[in-house]
Amino acid sequence: MASGFVDDLAQRHLDAAYNLGRWLLGNEHDAADAVHDAFVRATRAAHTYTGGNARAWWLAIVRNCCLARLATRKREAQQRHLSLVQAAAPPDTDEAEAGVEASQRHAVIAMQLRALPEEFREALVLREIEDLSYREIADVLGVPIGTVMSRLARGRALLRRALDPAHAQEAAHGL
Amino acid sequence: MDCKTAQNLLEAYLDNELERTAARELEAHADSCAHCSAMLGRLDELRRALRDQGLRYRAPPELRERIRATAASTGVQPRARMPAWTRIAAACVLAFGAGAASLQWWHAAHTEAGSAEITRDLFAAHWRALAATSPVDVISSDRHTVKPWFAGKVAQAPLVRDFAEQGFALIGGRIDYVGSARVPVLVYRHGQHVIDVFVLPAPTSLPNAAQREGYALNATMLGEQPAAIVSDMDGAERARLAQLLSSPSAP
Repeated sequence: MASGFVDDLAQRHLDAAYNLGRWLLGNEHDAADAVHDAFVRATRAAHTYTGGNARAWWLAIVRNCCLARLATRKREAQQRHLSLVQAAAPPDTDEAEAGVEASQRHAVIAMQLRALPEEFREALVLREIEDLSYREIADVLGVPIGTVMSRLARGRALLRRALDPAHAQEAAHGL
Repeated sequence: MDCKTAQNLLEAYLDNELERTAARELEAHADSCAHCSAMLGRLDELRRALRDQGLRYRAPPELRERIRATAASTGVQPRARMPAWTRIAAACVLAFGAGAASLQWWHAAHTEAGSAEITRDLFAAHWRALAATSPVDVISSDRHTVKPWFAGKVAQAPLVRDFAEQGFALIGGRIDYVGSARVPVLVYRHGQHVIDVFVLPAPTSLPNAAQREGYALNATMLGEQPAAIVSDMDGAERARLAQLLSSPSAP
């Protein structure tokens, strides 16, 4: 596969890659570095692309690079005797500033989405923000479609509970 | 549809992953069930909150530039490598309004390496579909369901016909990628064999037939459009389906 294929792919789906990185890693600097890593890796691994959904292939590489960074971050945090919780959900520095300007509703939703466990957060980001189909999400995450559906359902139930505690019971019952 | 089933399908419905008949049944149920319609309303509210709140981060321009710089220093720019005649021909294709996607397709389809890549993509897409939970994204034997499903997803919805009477039953459709092109795929069943018919965006220099690990590919025409059949059924059967597909459509 020509390297131009990866260049085109990365430029075309750069926002999607960066957005996924932001939601997984929490800040601009790490997200940008992870996407850049992913581009280098994708260029080298272009020959492993065997057809199928190219966007899902690219986002799967981006996700792996993000997870690698998260793992490093957790390891470093442990060495510094920081709690795992802090390491897994680092403060998003510019989110605080953005939150002041944006509506309060936006800030609340962003905060609750960020507070979701990683596996539910990434499924929801890919589905609701990037508008990927179940099949594409399954390809990015490397899990069966059934798992995608249950993660989305669980993520939505958790999010609804966080945003609207009054309906928490129904969410759990309905799903 | 009973309430329990409906509840399990609510999210798939909102995610547009339900085929049309099931979606209609679910709508009918929700109309008469306060619980399900309330649930649907709340899920929809959550969806709108997630979608409308500008939660999508856009890549900073510096990142775009950085990737461009890395590409320039490590890779070869693909367009600069195209021979001059290709660029002239490509410009003509563009002039006829074919658009950038078809340009890439055109380039891929008319070089020897390109057509080998397309062949590989077609086999890979077929195998992936067979390995997936379901080889189709929209399940239906009704061509009036399959065609509109395609309409919103690809530039040109393909001609969809069912050949159940001739032994090739339409079981649904999906969208797949061949190279960088999104192509509609019609899925038929013949006995135990699942058959993918890839509708290609433009003529290719695909071989008329290719074999790989017990599976075979035949280039054919779907009415006026070029297409490729991929399946593990035998040559005579593939030829028969190719003939049916290329036959003029009944009025």
